[in-house]
Amino acid sequence: MPFREINSKMIEAAVVPGQRLFSQRGAMLAYRGDVTFTPNTAGGQGGLMSMIGRRVAGEATPLMTVEGSGTVMFGHGGHHIQVIALTGDTLYVEADRLLAFDGTLEQGTMFLGSQGGVMGLVRGQVTGQGLFTTTLRGHGSVAVMAHGGVIELPIVPGRPVHVDPQAYVAHHGDVRNKLSTALGWRDMVGRGSGEAFQLELSGSGAVYVQASEEKL
Amino acid sequence: MRAGAAGRRTGRRARSCERMHKGWADPLCTPTLLSLYPGPRYLRAVATFRLQGSRVLAVTMTGDAVKAKNGSMVAYDGQMAFKKMSGGGEGLRGMVTRRLTGEQMEVMEVRGQGTCWFADRASEINLVHLHGEKLWVEASNLLCTDAGLRTGTTFTGLRGGASGNGLFTTTVEGTGQAAIMSDGPATVLRVTPQYPLSVDPGAYVAHQGNLQQHLQSGVTFRTLLGEGGGEAFQIRFEGDGLVYVQPSERNTVGGDV
Repeated sequence: MPFREINSKMIEAAVVPGQRLFSQRGAMLAYRGDVTFTPNTAGGQGGLMSMIGRRVAGEATPLMTVEGSGTVMFGHGGHHIQVIALTGDTLYVEADRLLAFDGTLEQGTMFLGSQGGVMGLVRGQVTGQGLFTTTLRGHGSVAVMAHGGVIELPIVPGRPVHVDPQAYVAHHGDVRNKLSTALGWRDMVGRGSGEAFQLELSGSGAVYVQASEEKL
Repeated sequence: MRAGAAGRRTGRRARSCERMHKGWADPLCTPTLLSLYPGPRYLRAVATFRLQGSRVLAVTMTGDAVKAKNGSMVAYDGQMAFKKMSGGGEGLRGMVTRRLTGEQMEVMEVRGQGTCWFADRASEINLVHLHGEKLWVEASNLLCTDAGLRTGTTFTGLRGGASGNGLFTTTVEGTGQAAIMSDGPATVLRVTPQYPLSVDPGAYVAHQGNLQQHLQSGVTFRTLLGEGGGEAFQIRFEGDGLVYVQPSERNTVGGDV
């Protein structure tokens, strides 16, 4: 576990030689020891093609590579930070919510249309995720930012969890998501309950929800 | 809606009591005993409120309903239905009151089976248990109430204008739980007849109990010259009750002078 939570808004990461760490550019607060920060023009891992892929997808957050030996503290914008440990499964998260992650994790971009077709694209628009989202796979930990505190809701088969798209942060595991609409005539005449769109997550895994409907 | 249904139900029971009275006197039908009768009221499934962290409220429901601020649901499991209601009291009178007072609480009724999580703008949430007493709270600070609680609107006078919330406030009355929001963790201050309390209007969140309130002003010659200390107005509470104060101040008229 390379990330240690100092308080709810700061984390400390141990950097050892031979192990890389990626973090959002400018998110370093302080460091001890001999640590170098190199801006990562490729915006993550992979070759030129994956870089172009991220550019096109708009998932190219400026990242930097952290190497050396010592400890680094990260924090950004006073947002709450949630450390998620991955054990072989895939985490789906918006690129701008990523604060830092282990270099051992395999980074990728997923086209939302590949899950659910046209509804997947609509879902991306409604949730503000866009058409693409970032995936991280492997063994390691990820620090994710959210406005307000984060709660983790487990998803078990046969008991789907519905999430407000604006409060959705990330999810991992073998989870299928679809946008469910509860639009009725009340919404048409402007008397909606404000909960017209919901993200329905089913399968097995966990979803992270923030205590706010505000974006970062 | 729920309260209306309950009212209808008690009405029906009262009528059936009348019918029974013709035969023999049913002790449970006398009004005083009726209110003590632990029958359907306690058998009715009651939503359980629980705080998950300090900013997320988890409500477990079994077919019953709660009233919540519009759009404050962040997640749910099981089956839930959301329906918009209008706060400020039921019926035509409530509608007129809402229009006139501007204390328009955007409320939805959430009914279903399962757990529903509520949160709003990362505000801190405080649970208040009501046992028949009345809670005065600003509409913007009310997150969620038991469907059995009645909500209404009252006139607050000058204090409302000074606290930056308008001249009217929302009242919650009955037996059940309510969740109120504050910017930062709220402090509960006890007021007794010996110890009255003065509160900054911008930091006031809610109060309950038998309290008299009036606006006191510290406006002096200096304030008029623009040399005020920024504490020109306070709300003074006297009597017996509780006042909820948040560690943050809304923009108020009093804070500027």
